[in-house]
Amino acid sequence: MTDPTTEFFESLRERGHEPRLRQATGTFRFELTKAGKIDRWHITLKRGDVTVLHRGGDADCIVRTDRAVFDRLASGELNGVAAVFRGELVAEGDWKLLVLFQRLFPGKAPSPAKRSRAGYSRRRA
Amino acid sequence: MNDGLVQILDGNTFVVSDDRGDIEASLTDPTGLFSFDTRFLSKWVLTVNGERLGALSVDDLQYFETRFFLVPGTGTVYIDAKLSVIRQRSVGMGFHEDLTILNHADKPVNLTVRLEAGSDFADLFEVKDALQKKGTYSARIRGGQLVLGYERATFRRATAISASEPARIDKSGLTFRIRIGPHGEWNTALDVVTLQLGAGQEAPQARRTRAGRLSMQRNLEKWIDDAPRVECDSGPLQTTYRRSLVDLAALRFSPPIAGGHSLPAAGLPWFMTMFGRDSIFTSLQALPFTPELAATTLRALGDWQGSRSDDFRDEDPGRILHEMRYGEMTAFEERPHSPYYGSVDATPLYVVLLDEYERWTGDRKLVRDLEHEARAALNWIDEYADLQGTGYIWYRRRNEETGLENQCWKDSWDSISYRDGKLPGFPRATCELQGYAYDAKVRGARLARDIWKDRELADRLEKEAADLKRRFNRDFWVEDGEYFALALDQEGNKVDALSSNNGHLLWSGIVDKSKAKALAAHLLGPRLFSGWGVRTLAEGEGRYNPIGYHVGTVWPFDNSFIAWGLRRYGFKEEAAAIAAGILDAAEFFDGRLPEAFGGYERSQTKYPVQYPTACSPQAWSTGTPLLLLRTMLGLEPHGDNLVVDPALPMSIGHLELLDIPGRWGRIDAFGRGRVDVGKKRAARG
Repeated sequence: MTDPTTEFFESLRERGHEPRLRQATGTFRFELTKAGKIDRWHITLKRGDVTVLHRGGDADCIVRTDRAVFDRLASGELNGVAAVFRGELVAEGDWKLLVLFQRLFPGKAPSPAKRSRAGYSRRRA
Repeated sequence: MNDGLVQILDGNTFVVSDDRGDIEASLTDPTGLFSFDTRFLSKWVLTVNGERLGALSVDDLQYFETRFFLVPGTGTVYIDAKLSVIRQRSVGMGFHEDLTILNHADKPVNLTVRLEAGSDFADLFEVKDALQKKGTYSARIRGGQLVLGYERATFRRATAISASEPARIDKSGLTFRIRIGPHGEWNTALDVVTLQLGAGQEAPQARRTRAGRLSMQRNLEKWIDDAPRVECDSGPLQTTYRRSLVDLAALRFSPPIAGGHSLPAAGLPWFMTMFGRDSIFTSLQALPFTPELAATTLRALGDWQGSRSDDFRDEDPGRILHEMRYGEMTAFEERPHSPYYGSVDATPLYVVLLDEYERWTGDRKLVRDLEHEARAALNWIDEYADLQGTGYIWYRRRNEETGLENQCWKDSWDSISYRDGKLPGFPRATCELQGYAYDAKVRGARLARDIWKDRELADRLEKEAADLKRRFNRDFWVEDGEYFALALDQEGNKVDALSSNNGHLLWSGIVDKSKAKALAAHLLGPRLFSGWGVRTLAEGEGRYNPIGYHVGTVWPFDNSFIAWGLRRYGFKEEAAAIAAGILDAAEFFDGRLPEAFGGYERSQTKYPVQYPTACSPQAWSTGTPLLLLRTMLGLEPHGDNLVVDPALPMSIGHLELLDIPGRWGRIDAFGRGRVDVGKKRAARG
């Protein structure tokens, strides 16, 4: 379980609930291509409750991309929205679901130098 | 129309052409067919027998439709027209053009009609900054269509052009060889369809029907029918109101995720996209008229709310976006707009809009649906915006290459200055941001108590708001001038110029009652009030310039919120004086207020001098007359009732606003002009 994609979906399955997806109800099928084979993941969202299955099935939103691209999304190296605009990630069906789902991809790790200047301090008592 | 250019649009798809309907763009020339921030046609030139046409007239039928009357030849002296050419064009998923040629002679005529077509697929940012493209172009003839394409790795855009009549299609256009009988006519319909293709997708055979245009026409009529009606003695006010409604209709934008619902985009045509700040301010202005804009704004901005820390996008969890773009440079992360989060006012204003929306509409469901988003926004104020740990909202961009330096509404480089004109360093805490934060906490507390049933949060927010108000009135008050400083600098010193931001502070409610009178006197005083409206920066300040973007011009939108602020503190007549000045100015622009006009004294110029801007109409200028109607009539929801407390300038005479939608159903408001604004102006200072 060392690749970022599996780790991403497994961790989502373990959490079982994601408050950031409270607005989302619907199903996804991710089709991730690697060496001519398709790795399928099926996600059901119900107001924040998440079910993850490592298989295909009918879905409201179908997302197709290379497994390598998804690895980079799952590890925060790529931004999901820009990848869609670039056509690296192709979505069919309910777009809004994908807009909500992409919140789960981590951001690029911020540089410590910038972070120290740019906040996160609590208000003084 | 600007500089002889004609523009029509539907959402973020728009066509800018010359008055013949032709497009001949260069990389820096802003004509063309644009959609999702990409130019899909940069050449579209009609010739008859090899000759260009001349314009007789242009009819702007609707914002999405126009008609060009043309004759062969471009001579200006004498036109011996045996032929007329009519191009009627409407926008939607590209555009549809009905081309008609009339033969006025009593002999048949043989013609070669040619449409030269091409596309540079420029990103809007490239048009602005004249940058070179990195991908490859193609032109194919397939299934009776000319398909122009552009490809850069997986990024693919295409334009498909087809005609209803037989044409010889080559890679740079369509040619029709036709014969028209005596006094006969010939028609063809041309369709230009824009395509955005992902990896492995094929271009579909796309052909648009007329149904689109008809439904847009019906949609516009329904939009106007659904809005409240204005009856009044003042003809110009009627014109301005009507203009605002139609322009607001044109400014509606349906983001791909909004299920067909619309929110106000920022400006036409270059800013036809979601802007957090502009969409929220415009939704607030339009609430008593078209509350559904606010609902869509809240939902769409909630869907795109920041969820992680990303320096390139200036994104934090809970932050509301600044601007969304869809073009090539955004796709390849050469620009951060996917979306970009670099504004610090949109997030507190999001909570303000949610509360104000519920007060008007009683739509508690939306407040419950967006509870998580509103809580995250409130959390952002304390957790992420307080860069100095001093209990205020500060800003400093983390994206130093393509991020925004000033993340407040006055976002030009020199907008924030001390009296002597010096500019402070970063971070900066401008004053109005603290007002918005205060208002967000007070309103958030109400939502928490009444709708989310979280008393603990409500108590905490109220306590924090009271604490913020106390500190703000101490730390920002300029003692010797009796007004609030424009900002605090990074050392906590006051950036002490006198500015219009004081009006926004009244609107937010953060101002101590004892200080409000001095602010009202400043806002209507000779240094800030020009006679038309309140200047962004007071006369006499180091950087004051009556035609400086944020340092002396008068912004109608700014004034509408200042008027609201004055009413909030009981200064009815002062609010009426501002409404009168701005509405007088609107008359000079046929009811369409510009983004800004010069800060010259009214008695000096006699008419408002427009500040040159690329976009017209601008959403929050369009919303200004609507908010001024609200402030003049003193409309305020109170429980399930609408309170009406008019204070109208005498020049308005009798005013009725009929069928105001809200939690009360529909209600009418009446008022009569009794405020002598001339006296108000004479007594100022």
